[in-house]
Amino acid sequence: MPIPLPLGPTGFIRDDREKHEFLVPRRAFTSPEVLAAERERIFSTCWLYAAHASELSGPNAFVSRRVGGRELVISRDDNGELHGFYNTCSHRGAMVCRQKAGNSKFFVCPYHGWTFNSAGAMTQQPAESGFPEGFFSDGAKDLTHVPRMDIYRDFIFVNYDAHATGLVDYLAGATEFLDIVADQSAIGMEITEGNHEYSMRANWKLLLENSADGYHAMTTHASYFDYLQSTNGSFRTDFNPSDIGGTCVDLGNGHAAIEYVAPWGRPVAQWVPQWGEDGRTAVTQLMADLVARHGTQRAQRIAERNRNILIFPNLVINDIMALTVRTFQPVNEGYLEVNAWSLAPSEEHADVRKYRQYNFLEFLGPAGFATPDDVEMLELCQQGYQNLPEPMWNDISKGMSKAVNGSDDELQMRTFWRQWNKLMLA
Amino acid sequence: MTCTRTEIEDFLYHEAALIDEWRTTEWHGLFTEDAEYLVPPSENPDADKDTALFIINDDFHRLKQRAVRLTKRTAHAEFPHSIVRHMISNVRIVEQNTNEVEVHFNQVVYRSKRQITDTYVCYVRQRLVKNGDSFKIRSKRVMLATDTLRPQGRISIIL
Repeated sequence: MPIPLPLGPTGFIRDDREKHEFLVPRRAFTSPEVLAAERERIFSTCWLYAAHASELSGPNAFVSRRVGGRELVISRDDNGELHGFYNTCSHRGAMVCRQKAGNSKFFVCPYHGWTFNSAGAMTQQPAESGFPEGFFSDGAKDLTHVPRMDIYRDFIFVNYDAHATGLVDYLAGATEFLDIVADQSAIGMEITEGNHEYSMRANWKLLLENSADGYHAMTTHASYFDYLQSTNGSFRTDFNPSDIGGTCVDLGNGHAAIEYVAPWGRPVAQWVPQWGEDGRTAVTQLMADLVARHGTQRAQRIAERNRNILIFPNLVINDIMALTVRTFQPVNEGYLEVNAWSLAPSEEHADVRKYRQYNFLEFLGPAGFATPDDVEMLELCQQGYQNLPEPMWNDISKGMSKAVNGSDDELQMRTFWRQWNKLMLA
Repeated sequence: MTCTRTEIEDFLYHEAALIDEWRTTEWHGLFTEDAEYLVPPSENPDADKDTALFIINDDFHRLKQRAVRLTKRTAHAEFPHSIVRHMISNVRIVEQNTNEVEVHFNQVVYRSKRQITDTYVCYVRQRLVKNGDSFKIRSKRVMLATDTLRPQGRISIIL
């Protein structure tokens, strides 16, 4: 299928390392043909985040949701083993599971009563005759499993390509950052009740770029910082602006992360006066536990540095004033759906949990003081791109002439686009 | 002295008018100092606000800052202001005593900007405190009567 983007010496992007210029064609955000190619070459070949193990709390638990554009059920069978299958009846294709989450030994298709167990295996159907005896006993009518499913530190991923490279190889250097997130708990992280399901009238790649963009913080989010200023005790008393020292790393395979120090409180584990003395006691204990488990240096990294982590193509884990797991997928080239969850240590102290959730919805939530402005920016970009064919290119060169990029440079976006380019040229 | 549905409606329409006219500072003045403004998760309207992830969970300070933010040009999602209109109906007094009234009602809020009009369908539970001839709001709990925040994508206005 032809991709309607001009091809140059470095492919669809202009990646000029001598001139320190990196350009991305705006049509990549607006073309239905580009999206069709992405569905084939990216969403059907890459590992996509599906669920967190904590969302499947025991045998016969399930969640059903769209992952990379396909409706899946992720379940545990009667023995607690994980399964991922398409939410499509093997009879005539109806969606079998109509609840977002729950616990059930069986899925019964409401159309003709075909019944499947929590491993997706067909167990019965109501007709007395009309099928050969034992027609489903060989598994031919079981719900179709996704070609690949694997789990890393409780993050469950699926891949629609049976021949894809293994998950750990795929994650490359990103495992270091997933470990820092998972290591925040001694007994396991959990997804909390309540998730945010929203949308943006913008191309999915715009949200990927925005999610680890340090450069936009002071302009887009000026009013959020005003809010923090006006809220007594929301800044750390020991924060020094010269501490920010952000870095950005290319983690391989299109993944990237920025890491930096910030003035806000972190539930794991930086106290701010707003959390009171009980909060201070809880956070001090938390820090002591981290040091005991991981040693001082790692504990300090976990507790005192913030991270925005991009896992190619569409998983964002922002470990900032709260911890979000965020995925998004294209519905069409100009509209995306987002799912965002709050992830926390399951043993978290009640006071800290309360402030974590406040922090989340003040900044990361779609009705807070920051994310609505991000939505606005991305929608303005998508509308700005309608002025094609002139002007043609986005410039994401910031930091290209530097040996090491900071958190407000654009290496993280270039890392994404270089991988995107490689897969689109394949 | 018991209040009537008409008195309650007058107050609710007044609150809506302040929001629709972008008189957000005056809107904030309608709340008591121990007030809360909540939008719980769609799948659990009775979720615990100290543990679950809400969509809005404002105490008096945060709801004031919400109102103040909307007066600034740097609240980009609402610069320039969108056109907003609340339609309120199905108002019922569920409970009242000498000091307080619990009111349940439905509302549809329209937000229009750059040729797109988004619709928020809600049912609301408000706890009002009698205040002379009028009321103050102690609790405003707005439940979205949609299973997701799509295609609206955000709540940058006051519901």
